[in-house]
Amino acid sequence: MPSPDPDDLKRLSERIDEAERKNTQRKKSPPPTSLNIAARFGTELVAAILMGAGLGWSIDWAFDHWAHIQTRPWAMVVMFVLGAAAGIRNVMRAAQEINAEMASKEK
Amino acid sequence: MAMNPMEQFEVKPLFQHPLLNIAGHDIYFTNQALFMCVVVAAISLFLTLTVSKNRLVPTRGQSMAELSYEFVANMINSTMGEDGLAFFPFIFTIFMFVLFSNFFGLVPWTFTVTSQIAVTFALASIVILTMVITGFMKHGLRFLTLFVPKAPWYLLLLLVPIEVISFLTRPVSLSVRLFANMLAGHTLLAVFASFVILLGAAGGVLSVLSIAPLLLIVAIFALEMLVAFLQAYVFAILTCIYLNEALHLHDHH
Repeated sequence: MPSPDPDDLKRLSERIDEAERKNTQRKKSPPPTSLNIAARFGTELVAAILMGAGLGWSIDWAFDHWAHIQTRPWAMVVMFVLGAAAGIRNVMRAAQEINAEMASKEK
Repeated sequence: MAMNPMEQFEVKPLFQHPLLNIAGHDIYFTNQALFMCVVVAAISLFLTLTVSKNRLVPTRGQSMAELSYEFVANMINSTMGEDGLAFFPFIFTIFMFVLFSNFFGLVPWTFTVTSQIAVTFALASIVILTMVITGFMKHGLRFLTLFVPKAPWYLLLLLVPIEVISFLTRPVSLSVRLFANMLAGHTLLAVFASFVILLGAAGGVLSVLSIAPLLLIVAIFALEMLVAFLQAYVFAILTCIYLNEALHLHDHH
């Protein structure tokens, strides 16, 4: 088998690079559907609120159990509100991520 | 005929005798464990057999393996940059495991591993633990500034707890999303399948009507194929985003 012409190979690799560059946009995965976005926002918000309330309940329990201080229900109230704020923060962050993802696909 | 749509998610021991006994708890070999083994074996076989010949012009199988490799490599490159490629084996493993589990679950009479919160939460915990350990190894205690946004100090009293709670919800939302998607999809399929049987058994005009839920199952199944891939993708890309935060503290803003 004759050895291939180096110039030929170089031209071929240039053509492959060119084709790859053209195809990169097309190969990206599908954009998230609105159902997916809604599901993502929902879980982020609810998870944070539940997590906040749960943490607050645990703090109340811990104070009562170990220090015998009755804080019920104040830690839970405060943590519930903070959890709701964290949930909104999560949703904002998720929205930023989705926006960045969509912007990178449009390029 | 019992038609419980949740019956498919039941974890049952396959053998009468427990495999192990750890601290008084019997560990059984369940259908769940079996399908996890099947998934891991299928991934290993698929990846080793297709690339073993290693041809310059890939066969169909080899190009599928190469495509999945490139897909994950591109995902890491675009979210974490070059130094994120150190995590390639980790993210590739997670992506392939979730993808294969989701697709295996769509085969009739199989068990969907990812429809169990125990499995998805374990996966999410591994991701978050990796993120925390990477962060502390790379930045030391400076990693804790992840919880401190740029704000005047009196607002930080409020913002730091919020950021901490927001961080703690990550493993929860990561695992619940995958688990809920798989659970909902498979329940929906089972419910519509039972409609077909009930209508078919009803006789007369109703039997003819049973074609409608059957057609719906076909449509939902197609949707589930998309969801199976999309959820694996979402799980992997969120892993990338979280690890990126640990690698490049505050850089991404």
